[in-house]
Amino acid sequence: MSPTEDVDAYVLKLRRQVRAAEVQLRDLRRQLVQAEKQADEARNLNKNHDRGLPFAQQSKRLAVLRNIGQEQGYEGHTNGTEDRSQYARSKRRWPLRKEEYKRYGRQLIMPEIGLEGQLRLRSCSVLVVGVGGLGCPAALYLAGAGVSTIGLVDGDTVEESNLHRQILHSTEKIGMSKVDSAVEQLRSLNPLVNYVSYREHLTPQIALQMFDRYDLVLDCTDHPTSRYLISDTCVLLQKPLVSASALRTEGQLMVLNNPSRAAGDVTGGPCYRCVFPRPPPAESVTSCGEGGILGPVVGIMGVLQALEAIKIIVAGISNPFDADGNIDISTVGREEASNASAPRQESPSLLLFSAYTSPPFRSVRLRSRRKDCVACSASATITRASLTSGSLDYAQFCGFVNPVSVLEKDSRISANDYDAQQFMLEWFRQTRGSEVYGPMTDTIIDVREKVQFDLCHFDRAINVPRSEILADDEPLRRALEELPARRQITVVCRLGNDSQLAVRKIRELRRRGGAIGSAETDDSLVMDIEGGLRAWTRNVDPEFPEY
Amino acid sequence: MQHLAQTTSEKELTSSSPAPMPGTMSSRAPPGHFTVLYFASAASYVKKTSETFEAPLPAAKLFDVLEKKYPGMKEKVLSSCALTVNLDYIDLEEDSGEGQLVLQPGDEVGVIPPVSSG
Repeated sequence: MSPTEDVDAYVLKLRRQVRAAEVQLRDLRRQLVQAEKQADEARNLNKNHDRGLPFAQQSKRLAVLRNIGQEQGYEGHTNGTEDRSQYARSKRRWPLRKEEYKRYGRQLIMPEIGLEGQLRLRSCSVLVVGVGGLGCPAALYLAGAGVSTIGLVDGDTVEESNLHRQILHSTEKIGMSKVDSAVEQLRSLNPLVNYVSYREHLTPQIALQMFDRYDLVLDCTDHPTSRYLISDTCVLLQKPLVSASALRTEGQLMVLNNPSRAAGDVTGGPCYRCVFPRPPPAESVTSCGEGGILGPVVGIMGVLQALEAIKIIVAGISNPFDADGNIDISTVGREEASNASAPRQESPSLLLFSAYTSPPFRSVRLRSRRKDCVACSASATITRASLTSGSLDYAQFCGFVNPVSVLEKDSRISANDYDAQQFMLEWFRQTRGSEVYGPMTDTIIDVREKVQFDLCHFDRAINVPRSEILADDEPLRRALEELPARRQITVVCRLGNDSQLAVRKIRELRRRGGAIGSAETDDSLVMDIEGGLRAWTRNVDPEFPEY
Repeated sequence: MQHLAQTTSEKELTSSSPAPMPGTMSSRAPPGHFTVLYFASAASYVKKTSETFEAPLPAAKLFDVLEKKYPGMKEKVLSSCALTVNLDYIDLEEDSGEGQLVLQPGDEVGVIPPVSSG
């Protein structure tokens, strides 16, 4: 053969080789894609069911793994060797982890809960707004029951006066953020739950974003403004809400917006505004600090909140539509499946608890959504924008003026100045005698409730309780009439808020009673102690009880 | 109304228990009367947990009756209250039904202010 024919043959041979290699490469690539897909599938199955596969899926997983195994030269499991245990583990997977069976065992064996109920608890996130008298017991039982995530919202720190009822906190935690204190305790109870901290007070601007990642909200707050805000947010985001409250010896509890539907959908549950469309008068709103509260009373309501939350979660949170109106596949079919084990959802109700009445519990049947509700009816005016823009002023809606400062500066006397004044008066009494001293002394009117007045008060103080002043002018008018003319009046209360309102009332009464311009109508004769008795303890007399 | 004037001149209140002392509430109204249960700030305002009034009385008139007996109650308490009759929430403002609802002897009315504290 000629030299050129040799080269040509060589070229042909090479071309053939390249083609064969290309075919082989294509084949290998195809195999790689398939193997990667199978590996992904196996990983996804694993992830979605958290190493606990329903038995129906087992065979598919095995098939996937077998394919991969075969290509890698796996020849079947060996008997009686250590390697077997690894394969044994992959052969049988339970839906719950071993420690979950132990931890939740007592509720797992109840037909009302069962495996399905526990799986639902484990996939549900709950937001607890307020970590006080209600939030502490509620969060405790929710954590114990094994929900997926608990969010805790509170901007306060632990105080000594909390400890008789806020059982998640403790003496060493005084001064600590309530949320931090709570998480520490909750985690030690159940480390399997994920805890999210929000060390701040709830505001309209942050509410929507905060609530969005949770499936269910608990209102454990202590103020009407937050109650309306929380309810409005839950309606906008279509979340069920368990709302409770307590004061003195009474408590209230209701499950709102369940079923949670968009505004205008009449099948949705009523919201807070459907039950209480008008807020209470601002001056009638009493805090636990002002009205008092018995530990077990608020404890009962918090525990009931956790119970209602668990019932809702286990029955399947009935919101098949996500916020954009698309069907959330994972929730479809839940309610039907649960009917066998869980009781049917009853119509919404308001539970009333009263420690001193018989019967202590009363359940009132609520209506469905109000036709004209501004939050959840077809004519609703509350929108997401109205929350985030800040145009909805909940404080204004509830009639609150920012911390009571209704008196001008020079109508108020500081605790130190008052002490100095009294000291000087005493000196006058000792040096000049009571004829001079007498007319100079002031009349002290203490407007706290009698129960508080009896705890501790200034020696010369007379008690005209705020509740009486609000109800009727008579007690105050009588007290004023008995005073000689030109007598200074000093009004005092615990914190320096109620005393301001009382000063205004006294001035108003005196103006009505006396002639204009006369001594009786001289406003400057009536003052209050700024900061109240608390300021007195902190600045003048540390022995004076603070409570 | 003349009917009301008659009842207020005679002492129509036959049973009421003071708040906040421990004790049981009157569980049965005398014949021809309905019971009003007061909760929370309503109980503090009237200083009792329950009271009876003569029946029949149109539900729409109830607040007037209470205001007459406890001046200022409408504005300071009742305006924000939930009202129930025999454990059913009712709405006096709704056109249908409740406007014509008449309280009968033996009925139990709940005056429930919102409690916000916790």
